[in-house]
Amino acid sequence: MGGVGAMVKGASYSYAVFCGSFLRSPRLSFSIHNKKKLLKFRSFSSKSTCSSLQPPDVSRLAKTAQISLTPDEVEEFAPKIQQVIDWFGQLQDVDLQSVEPSIRAETENNLRDNVPETFDHRDAMIGAVPSYEEPYIKVPRVLSMD
Amino acid sequence: MILTLQTPRPLSRLPRFLPFSTNASITLNQSQPATCTSPPPPYSQILSTRHSLLSRQFSAADLLRSHLHRLNLTEPHLRSFLHLPDPSDLLAQADSLDRRIAAGEDVGPLAGVLVAVKDNICTADMPSTGGSRILEGYRPPFDATAVKRAKELGAIVVGKTNLDEFGMGSTTEGSAFQVTANPWDLSRVPGGSSGGSAAAVSARQCVVSLGSDTGGSVRQPASFCGVVGLKPTYGRVSRFGLMAYASSLDTIGCFGSSVADAGILLHAIAGHDRFDATSSNQDVPNFLSHFVSASSFESKPLKGLRVGLIRETIGDGVDAGVISAIHSAASHFEELGCSVNEVSLPSFSLGLPAYYILASSESSSNLSRYDGIRYGNQVYADELDSLYGSSRANGFGSEVKMRILMGTYALSAGYYDAYYKRAQQVRTIIRNSFTEALNQNDILISPAAPSPAYKIGEKKNDPLAMYAGDIMTVNVNLAGLPALVLPCGFVEGGTAGLPIGLQMIGAAFGEEELLRVGHIFEQTLENCRFVPPIIAEDIAS
Repeated sequence: MGGVGAMVKGASYSYAVFCGSFLRSPRLSFSIHNKKKLLKFRSFSSKSTCSSLQPPDVSRLAKTAQISLTPDEVEEFAPKIQQVIDWFGQLQDVDLQSVEPSIRAETENNLRDNVPETFDHRDAMIGAVPSYEEPYIKVPRVLSMD
Repeated sequence: MILTLQTPRPLSRLPRFLPFSTNASITLNQSQPATCTSPPPPYSQILSTRHSLLSRQFSAADLLRSHLHRLNLTEPHLRSFLHLPDPSDLLAQADSLDRRIAAGEDVGPLAGVLVAVKDNICTADMPSTGGSRILEGYRPPFDATAVKRAKELGAIVVGKTNLDEFGMGSTTEGSAFQVTANPWDLSRVPGGSSGGSAAAVSARQCVVSLGSDTGGSVRQPASFCGVVGLKPTYGRVSRFGLMAYASSLDTIGCFGSSVADAGILLHAIAGHDRFDATSSNQDVPNFLSHFVSASSFESKPLKGLRVGLIRETIGDGVDAGVISAIHSAASHFEELGCSVNEVSLPSFSLGLPAYYILASSESSSNLSRYDGIRYGNQVYADELDSLYGSSRANGFGSEVKMRILMGTYALSAGYYDAYYKRAQQVRTIIRNSFTEALNQNDILISPAAPSPAYKIGEKKNDPLAMYAGDIMTVNVNLAGLPALVLPCGFVEGGTAGLPIGLQMIGAAFGEEELLRVGHIFEQTLENCRFVPPIIAEDIAS
């Protein structure tokens, strides 16, 4: 419940900020029609499928993405990321019932033969490795003791 | 606003580029009086260059020297380039070409043409950083296929251009190294992410350049810098050697100072590549056949062409000056014999969040390769996880970090259906709406951006405001279609106005039609010369 409440509160805050930033810059003000569309999305957000989604936990995401953020960075990024994720949320309310997802534009099946070839510039490739001790790429220990 | 090509007096030793159809000979030391009626602008620097080189009017070495002279004068103000090779290396290539021409050997269609390459496209003999500290100093062990093909046809790579880090951004301010300025107004951005490539062509530091377009990164800077930008169909040009940002959206694109030049460069690099499984086997038509002199046009050269102006792109939120420029462009199309109608694309506005979901998600996966182990800059730690975390934290800029985190969130277990899958479904809707519109119309037109170039620093702290500027371009990437941007007018700003670009969107693999139509549009556009003041005025002072 707290999750949903936070989501809705976050959503209306970010909607205000989002529209606010648009209104500040006259070139980027949305049309009345678009504002109404946004309003429609926000009023349904607590009932839509996104009610089961937890808001982004920037520290946890950073661990998953293997980027060591400083506490200052976490504090700086969290509201911006929240704002963008909320903006993504408008897709929740679109009727996509019978629509097939597209992976990409149409492309043909173009795989080349699965035959190994020797790469001509192995030296240049090895030369780019930061820590190399023939024939190994050196890394620190993989498993921690705790 | 009318601009004429000013003869820059300190640059009077530069070769004059003549239209392909004239036979006038020139000498290097002849300067033209500023009041003479200059010949019509050459519709292709590449073709004029070829003509002049083969008829020995000037040498490739002279051509190189004149461009390098201009580059050296303008570069402290523009900062388009992240890397410039030793001039003697370039001169050696030009000399070698001159010897081959003197010996009567065949030379490729890009012989002597100076090409700048965006720094997220790999070049074996120059560093390729992707605009990021994590790859500072990195030298790839191979050339990207697009670079390899251009070089095989005689192009000289004059340097690597600045960009938003890994292609993520719309101003080039996201580069880890420097901010590139817009040649039309040095206090403004050149656009992004291919800002350096656009600025370099705009200021005539090179002849053509390569960029990449994932959500508009060739088309929007082309509009901001008053040059031609061509985004090909997804699969038309090999992505091998392009540092991946969003693999289902990335394309390599071309910049030129004319439609013909962008088209000739595209022809050189396009076509199937066995190293890119998403590159298409479709034949590459001979675009060059359409680049003919305006004097050979019929009176209504585009008679019967159905042009659809996308209604959602000329409404609220778009600069009045931009709308006016697009309406003028529509009138110009009508003068050329087209029928112009407004067309509505349903769900147009959903493309922007769908794009950013797909792009952040794919980028979070693509950028996981930058781990400091096999290449790139490493921050050592005693444990592997810490090494990854520190190397990446140290090497990536803020925008890249944020997009990786957003993508990680959207792809988290259980969230795929809510975000990534829904974005792909929106992608289907958008593709279908374009297909429908392109059944009723031969091409679609819109602005390339809702405004002219922003001031440097204007969008820095507001991600959503920056993303909003991509509204005109992202849907084209979602649908994988080709699009051509060419300058069509000006709005107030800077010392000589700020250019506005018209976007033309075609059917999949329909670059030939876009180039044919674009060339005719460009060659018949009156009173518009797109030469920025930085090179038009006396730049010695």
